[in-house]
This record gives sequence, structure tokens and C-alpha cells, in this order.
Amino acid sequence: MKYTKELVSTLIIILITFLLAAVLIIVAKYDPGMALQSFFYGIFGSLHGFAEIMVRATPLILAGLGVSVAFSTGFFNIGAEGQLYMGAIAITFVGVFLPPMPPMLHIAVAILAGFLLGGIWAVIPGFLKAKYGVSEIITTIMFNYIAINIVGILVRTVLKNTESALPYSPVMPKSLSFPLLLYPTRLHGGLILALACAVLIYIIMKKTTIGYELRVVGFNKRAGTCSGISVYKNIVLASLISGGLAGLAGVSEIAGVHHRLLEGISPGYGYIAIIVALMGRNHPVGVIISAIGLSALQVGANSMQRQAGIPTSITSVLMGVIVLLALGKNIMFSGILKKMRIK
Amino acid sequence: MAEAGTVLYYIVTLFAASIRMAVPLTLAGLGESFSERSGVLNIGLEGIMLSGAFFSFMAAYITQSIIVGVIFGCFGGLLISMIHAYMSFKCYVDQVIVGIALNFFSLGLTSFLFMAYFGRTTTVPQCPVVKPIRIPLLSDIPIVGDVLFNQDIFVYFMIFACFVSYIILYKTVWGTNIDAIGEHPKAADTVGLNVKKTRYITAIINGCLGGLGGAYLTLALLGFFMENITSGKGFIALVVVILGRRHPFGVLFAALLVGAAEALQYRLQTLGSGLPSQVFIMLPYVVTVIVLLFSIGKSSDPAALGISYKRSSR
Repeated sequence: MKYTKELVSTLIIILITFLLAAVLIIVAKYDPGMALQSFFYGIFGSLHGFAEIMVRATPLILAGLGVSVAFSTGFFNIGAEGQLYMGAIAITFVGVFLPPMPPMLHIAVAILAGFLLGGIWAVIPGFLKAKYGVSEIITTIMFNYIAINIVGILVRTVLKNTESALPYSPVMPKSLSFPLLLYPTRLHGGLILALACAVLIYIIMKKTTIGYELRVVGFNKRAGTCSGISVYKNIVLASLISGGLAGLAGVSEIAGVHHRLLEGISPGYGYIAIIVALMGRNHPVGVIISAIGLSALQVGANSMQRQAGIPTSITSVLMGVIVLLALGKNIMFSGILKKMRIK
Repeated sequence: MAEAGTVLYYIVTLFAASIRMAVPLTLAGLGESFSERSGVLNIGLEGIMLSGAFFSFMAAYITQSIIVGVIFGCFGGLLISMIHAYMSFKCYVDQVIVGIALNFFSLGLTSFLFMAYFGRTTTVPQCPVVKPIRIPLLSDIPIVGDVLFNQDIFVYFMIFACFVSYIILYKTVWGTNIDAIGEHPKAADTVGLNVKKTRYITAIINGCLGGLGGAYLTLALLGFFMENITSGKGFIALVVVILGRRHPFGVLFAALLVGAAEALQYRLQTLGSGLPSQVFIMLPYVVTVIVLLFSIGKSSDPAALGISYKRSSR
């Protein structure tokens, strides 16, 4: 019976979300029929749509995994956006300043650098939280703004493409590109990296002592301390893994999509990753599913914007509402469920 | 002599600008102080300010009346803060997560409605802005007069609100009740204080003041609205609350500090140093982090901050 309740709650959430979207679209005087049609056409209408969902899901899976590791350890990492940009900076430095290397080695070095720089960007707030109790929510957010401005500074100075007046870096060498998986779409090897990371995180979090200790600290700090698990060590470790994974999202965006560093490479992936982790209940499989779901929502919304002129910011409204409904469903829907005699 | 005059003028305008930059942070920070003292951590402050900024702009744009703008600014902030209250008091959802979700909601809603109303225009729609009010006599005092007594109504209101908040929080029984509820809701409940009601009231104060803080951006500082106009000011206000240790004048002082960084940032940008403007844009955020480091070890968080209170739980 528990499953029936879950299923009905989920259906109610979907229904409310659709109704809200319809209300917004109608209030704003857009064409709801056109909107619905273009939404679903964007998602299911073509191979290109499918590939685009996966392309967008790739950084969401990586950053979402990162956020989920942090959340499981009780470290509220809101800074995936900044860590993503740090990863992007790292791969660009590897491409611009390191000597040419064979492709596999080059990518490996870039991945390592991206993981480290993203990780460092999260370890600083992690350290401040673990050692001094400084709120990580604030520091990670401030670090987002700082990282984005650092990108702005770098593409105008050290990493600037001297042959162009525009603020972006030179194009990365071929050896720093992920292979395309489904020509002629943009689907690239980053997806494989993301899925591999999901498997790895699943093993670490659920099958090893390291993951066990991380989760204990997240569940009950005091119990952890009492049984000899260092809260300090685990929060720092969680922030490193978390920031590192978000850094990989940045590496993947450069190596798979943009091939050069420029401002605004992330349309808020780092923030959406928080929702991905929340909806995925901090489980790698859940993260993959919710990343693909939210990515589909965005691709559909983009299609609505092209066809019906509806601003894509509608997705932020819906994501916020979905999270609120999903978290509050047991109490919010208790009246409805009682009437339907579902226990 | 002329040189000294320009330097003096420069300093006076910088101080005056610092105070104006501190207004949204102080107002939002005061509201959040009430909320946090009663044990409710509202990370959705950014969303509250953004919603306040948007609704005040729309109301002022449509009616061309600043007063209507101010009222709708409060209403906009209240909208977000009431959802936060409902979700955390009624549904017992983690307050931080509700805050994060509400920031999304507010960002999306304001951008969507703004785009839907104005479409893709090249001209920026403007709303009326408040004018500075010279206070007779006091504004004639050299330097201080220009810095303090030739400001807009919001600045005077900010100082007034600090005094009132101080009196409420430190000199009234209700203020002590708020602290009691933030420290130990169960004990407070046992002696007959109404935890839920008090928290709802602090949430209302938070929404109104946060909304006003956002309204100040559109109705005084800028005169227009754009997507994500608050760009992290709500989070900076959270830092101001921590640094000011939830004391009204502490909040004001901390806000002035960050406000000065912001005012300086704009000055430095226009100076033409040859450095990319991002160096200066990032200054307030860097200052905020540094300022936060100064609060290390002086934590005085209410014991029940961020924890939902369930009467039946043990």
C-alpha cells in the first residue's frame, strides 16, 4: 500500500506542476496548445532532442553526484556552479600552457586537474566549516560569484585568445576533445565519464568504509564522534569529492561542448545540480534519473521558447515548486489521500 | 586648495553612497535577525528580496506611484516568506532546502513575469525613484550633513527601524520570548509561549523588511528591474546577520562595511585602471568572505536555529 501512496502523490505533483505551468502560460497570454505541442516535440520529436537531453544531463549528473555526496555528509554545498567553472579553468590551463601530449594522457591530465581545482574550491569552505563552523552555505555561494568573475578576468588577460578581440580563450587542441558518440548530434564522451563516476560513487558511498563514515557524519555527527569517526576529516573529504565532481562537469563542458573557455558556459548547471541531488535522494541512480528528467524539462522549455516564445525561466518556477511539493507531500496531500481512502 | 576640495567631495559622496548600498542589506538583515532569533533560518532571503524588487517595480511602473511600489514590495517579500513559513512550520521540511527551492521559485517567477509583460525590448522600462530629502539645519552641517541628512526616505527609515528593532528585541517581553523560542522551543512551549504564532510573526517581519530591502534596489538605487537583479545581495545580507550577531546595530554596522566595499567597487570601475571590471565586481563578495572570517569563534547562534519544532516530538 505504501507504493500506491507514493504513486498517487507523484501523480498529484505532476498534475499540479502541469496546472501551474498552464496557469502561467495562460496568464502571460501565450498559446497553451502550441506550448504543449512544442514542449513534447522538443523532447520526443527527434534524435537531436534526445541527444540534447543527454548533453545537458551530463554536467547535471556530474555536479549532481558531487552535491549528493556533500549532502549525504551534511555539508550543504551550494557552490557547484563555482566549482564547475574552476574545473573549466583547469582544463583550459592544461590546454594552453602544457606541452602537446598523446590524446588519452592529455584528457587524463585535464580530468585530474579539473577534479583538483574544483575540489580545492570546495575544500576551502569545507575546511572553514569543519574547523571553525563557518556556514558553508554562505561561503560556497560567495565562491560562486568569485569564480565566475575569475573566469571573466582570465579570458580577458592570461587566457585570452590574442587573435580575437572577444573575451575567450584559444581553441583547445584536438587531443583535449571528447569523442562524439552519435554524429551529427552533439552527444559526447562526457556522458560515459558521468556514468562511470556514478558507478564509482555508488561503490564508494554504499560499499566501502569511507562511504559509510561519510554517511554516518551526515546522519549523526555525535554518533560518529562517539564511535571514533572524525567529523573534521570526513567533511573535508566530502567537500573535496563534491567539488571535484562539479569540477569534472566543467571539464566535460569544455572538452565536449565549447572547446574553449568563455563566460557563461553554464546556464546554472551548478544550481540545478542541487535540485538534481534533492530529487535523486542523494542516490547515484536517483541522480541520473532526476538529471535526465530535469534536462528534458529544460530541452522542452527551450523548444517552447523557440516555437511559442515562452521564456525559459518558467523551468525555474516549476523546479522550485516540484521540490517543495515533493518534500511536503506527506502532510500537504494527507487530506486528499484520506478522502481517496489510500493509506 | 581645489585639489583638497575634490578629495573631500569624493570622500563625502563615497560615504553617502556606502550608506545607500547598506540600506537593502540592513533592512533584509533586520528581518532575518528577527526570524533567526526565533530559531528559523531563512536562506530564501535572496528570493524574498528579488520578489520584493520585482513586485515593487511592477507596481510603481504601472501606477507611477512610489507608495504603491513600497506596499507591493512588502507584499512580494511576504509571499516568499509565508511559503517558507508554511513549508517549515506545517510540513516540517528542512528550512535550508525550502530556502534553496524558494530562491529558484522566486528567480523563475520574477524573470518569467517580467519577460512575459515586457517581451524582448531594447529600451529598459523605468519606474519613478525616490528623491533625497534634505533635513533643514542638520543637512547644513559640513560633511556629516551631506552624508547623513541629505538622503532618501529609506535611509531614514533604516535608522528608525534599527532603533525600533533594538527596543523590541532588548527592551520588551516579547523580544525575550523570541529569544527563548529560538534557544529552546520546547521549554518555551511548556511555559505557555506560542511557538508557531511567534515564528509566523517573525516570518511576517522578515518578509516585509526583506521585500522593502529588495524594493530599495528598484525604487531608489536603480529605477529599473532586470533578471536576478539582487545577484547575491540576499546571501550577503545573511552574512551581515551573522557578523552583526543578530543585533540591530551590529547588523547596521556590518551592512555599512559591505556597503562601503560595494560603493568603492563602482568608483574604482569608473576610474579606468585598465584592469578588467570583474576585478572590482568581485570585490564585495571577497570582502563578504573576509568579513565572515572575522566572525570565527564568536558564534552565538540560537540553539534551535534551523530545526523545525514539532510539538509531539521528544
